Amino acid sequence: MLRPRIAVLVLTALSGLPLVPAEPAAAQEDVAIPGIQLGLAYENLYIPPLAILPFTGSDTDAVLVSEIQGIVARDLDYSDRFVVLDSLPEGLADDGIQYSLWDQYGADWLLVGEVETVSGMPVLSIELHDIVFTSVERGRFPLPARDDEDFRMAVHRVSDEIVEWVTGEPGIAASRIVFSMRPFGNPSAKELYIVDSDGEDLQRITWDENLAISPTWSPDGSRIAYVSYKTGLPRIYELALADGSERPLNTGHDGQHLTPAYHPDGAELAFNILGSGLFRYDLGDDCCLTRLVGGRAENLQPSYSHDGDELVFLSNRLGEATPQIYTMPARGGNANLLSPYRFGQGGYFGDPDWSPVSGKVAFAGGIARRRVLNRYHIYVADTEVGDNRLFRLTREGSNEDPSWAPDGRHIVFVGERRNGFGVFIVDSGTGRTRIVVASVEASDTDWSPALGPRT
Amino acid sequence: MSNRRFVLAAFATAIVLTACGSEPEPEMAPEPTGPTAEELEAMRQDSIRRARDAEEAQRRREMEAAERERQRRAEMARQTLRETVYFDYDEAVIRSDTETTLRAKLDILRANPGVQLRMEGHADERGTSEYNIALGNERSEAVIQFLTGFGLDAGRFSSVSYGEERPAAQGSNEAAWAQNRRVEFVITAGGDGIGQ
Repeated sequence: MLRPRIAVLVLTALSGLPLVPAEPAAAQEDVAIPGIQLGLAYENLYIPPLAILPFTGSDTDAVLVSEIQGIVARDLDYSDRFVVLDSLPEGLADDGIQYSLWDQYGADWLLVGEVETVSGMPVLSIELHDIVFTSVERGRFPLPARDDEDFRMAVHRVSDEIVEWVTGEPGIAASRIVFSMRPFGNPSAKELYIVDSDGEDLQRITWDENLAISPTWSPDGSRIAYVSYKTGLPRIYELALADGSERPLNTGHDGQHLTPAYHPDGAELAFNILGSGLFRYDLGDDCCLTRLVGGRAENLQPSYSHDGDELVFLSNRLGEATPQIYTMPARGGNANLLSPYRFGQGGYFGDPDWSPVSGKVAFAGGIARRRVLNRYHIYVADTEVGDNRLFRLTREGSNEDPSWAPDGRHIVFVGERRNGFGVFIVDSGTGRTRIVVASVEASDTDWSPALGPRT
Repeated sequence: MSNRRFVLAAFATAIVLTACGSEPEPEMAPEPTGPTAEELEAMRQDSIRRARDAEEAQRRREMEAAERERQRRAEMARQTLRETVYFDYDEAVIRSDTETTLRAKLDILRANPGVQLRMEGHADERGTSEYNIALGNERSEAVIQFLTGFGLDAGRFSSVSYGEERPAAQGSNEAAWAQNRRVEFVITAGGDGIGQ
């Protein structure tokens, strides 16, 4: 299946988004971390070209047909699993689908779509032709009406199914990102917003006119736990997305509660109480505040491993100016340093997030040449490999708040770059980066699990 | 008819003049029909009352001035209690200028045991936003520790940290950052009783 690398250039031209060029040299602000291999995580991948024939739909509104095709084409592009060829020369399919013709054209995959209208509702039929192995996969997907609020998500789920046919792993199109942002006209407030992973359908979900920060998705995607200052002190609340109802987490402790994280079973929250330590609380039984880490240092920003057995968190036990990342058994125990630290060298690391599918942990930070660190990068360490290797995913600007997509491959983060501030997504496979929401006042990004149909 | 009314009016005026003439008539015009003993006594009482009133007014003015001064000092004390203190980058250590400000607060807090304060910790925008909340809290806790170290009751102080979320100065430069690494003070109880 080896194809010339020219395909990558085609992608660049088609998507209008510059592919990040190969890393020329270590960026200027880097400081060597002794004993640590530091490098970009981008693999030298072959990305198969996928051609999309214009979707047909004789009995269906042409605008709707082209809208559905547009969503699918962009989803497949944003999956970073294909080089999408969607502007094709005339006549390639005039005499039916001839695999040899498509093979000569340079496509490994060919997507054919048709939209019918059945009892007033659109139905999308998909054929995915494997040009190399000359086989075909078919699916038929009833969609909600175009004005239904689940319409775009339903199309995204079709895209994710196509990605799974090809790669064996589901795509990330049917997922959303929650983050905190200053609402227009109230510079002292921050509210929570949700946006589809393709940057569409931005919605505000809190109206506290106060500080709403540190949102995190429940593992089933139905709730968001977050921190609000609306009573005067930061406390944790759970917001149910279906009806907007909210309940405060009443732990019985009157301290400042920060940085909630769900256990993968959805029945337990881990969080920080300032000055007191790291705690967990049983949501199912609504009881039992249990301390996981105490002591004089601050321990916050917990994130559970995908199996729920471990926690990664931030601690400043080595000093206020050098917060570092540690892992620990989820029920408490000895903590192991994960971020690169050497006595006297400093370093500042935070925002850890454990991959939902593997032992990888993403976090933000860096080591300053001088004492003051102004630029932060996104790093990935692999707790399963344990060879001290650390990969850097960003190479420009300052970058914080990484959060893994459900595929354990893409990462959303907040970036401040020459060409824009806001919410970005990077593909850890290719390094391809795109902006999702442009805003100077966005923070605390968290990527949802794969979102199934509404029940 | 109009004549009779004039006579009545003149008569009434005469009575009023006699009853409340403000000064004793000059001696050069002694009248055989001078004030009666009762009238003299009334005048004497009247002048005593006026003297007392003047004295009372003076005392009231002095008290009001004293009260204004007390309120001015109380307001100054409240301003001292509310004065923001600043910190170095990534530090929760009390600087010498911060210590001077805190010692001024200390004297007022000792003299006014009913006063309670809320410390609001802040950080500059550098660093991750969540860790900056922890840092802001360490700053307000450092201030509380300083004050309780001089024997003040810890129950008089509460704290909340906003991290980098509520900057005092906008901008991404050292001047703005220095303004934002701070602890602000809110008087939550006893502010009106200062100096009483």
